[in-house]
Amino acid sequence: MKELVFAVVALVGLGFSLSGAVGVLRMPDVYTRIQCSSKTVTMGALPVLAALLIGEGPFGQYGSRVLLIAVLLGVLNPAAAHALARAAYRTGVPMWRGAVQDESLPQRNGERDGERGGSGKPDERQG
Amino acid sequence: MSSLYLVVALAEVAIAVLLTVRLGLGPTTCDRIVALNALTTQAMLALLFFAAYADRTGYLDAALWPASFGYLGTIVWARYLERGLL
Amino acid sequence: MFWALDYLVLALVLACAVLVVRIRSLNGAVMALSAVGVLLGLLFIVLGAPDVAHAQLVVGAIALPVLYLIAIGKTRTDVPEDDPSGASTDRTEEADPCTRETRIEDPSQERS
Repeated sequence: MKELVFAVVALVGLGFSLSGAVGVLRMPDVYTRIQCSSKTVTMGALPVLAALLIGEGPFGQYGSRVLLIAVLLGVLNPAAAHALARAAYRTGVPMWRGAVQDESLPQRNGERDGERGGSGKPDERQG
Repeated sequence: MSSLYLVVALAEVAIAVLLTVRLGLGPTTCDRIVALNALTTQAMLALLFFAAYADRTGYLDAALWPASFGYLGTIVWARYLERGLL
Repeated sequence: MFWALDYLVLALVLACAVLVVRIRSLNGAVMALSAVGVLLGLLFIVLGAPDVAHAQLVVGAIALPVLYLIAIGKTRTDVPEDDPSGASTDRTEEADPCTRETRIEDPSQERS
């Protein structure tokens, strides 16, 4: 019974991880790749860690490490994805040619006008 | 039960092969950062499951390095691309 | 069953080590070097040496790429414009933030 639950939960996590890896490999754009990597790797890693907890029991050596790693993953993965997407946008990585909208385009034009001064305030440039 | 752990670790490393392809042919630096981040996560999971397979709890501590410094390293890479490291 | 993981991780280490040499952009090569460090740590764990794996993870995956990053950031990467064979398209685009940053903060321009 424990093996069956372990296999099902680990299979869910592995399926999400595989879909995330295929998305990273096949997506046409940096931003879509960041989205694939962030969401599906988190959703794939957490069930696999839960499967390890099911297999080895939630207390003891395995439980503490798995809980610590799960907390680190949940906190740091969205922050890393956000910082990476912002860095990609600031350094001018082009979007896919099929992309239809760039919602932070006025902010970028404002940064190009004043190199350092008006970087933090895009609202003044809009109004 | 023990062989199931090894199967999961093998599957994680096989997923990391796909990410290595993206690490090789990513056109920009940001693609490579994405692939490296996911590859670090997969290697960490494979390490945890190999520790459970070998039944050595001493192996578990090595998994904390990729878990913490992999993501912090991604943030450092993003900051480096944005405005330089120093 | 145990040898399969061994050979798979070994093949990944070899692939990433080939990538370190083959990637033309400096940042990409440093990133492949970090991947080599992580995978070598995993390989040392598989081979049953956890202390060596600790050292490899700390030095090879964290300290060495940071060292190379500092070295690359300190040097000036000016790529000639008439560089043949698609190496320039990858490289000029990525060297752009570093060179722009050094040009802005160059103290000699403020003095003159």
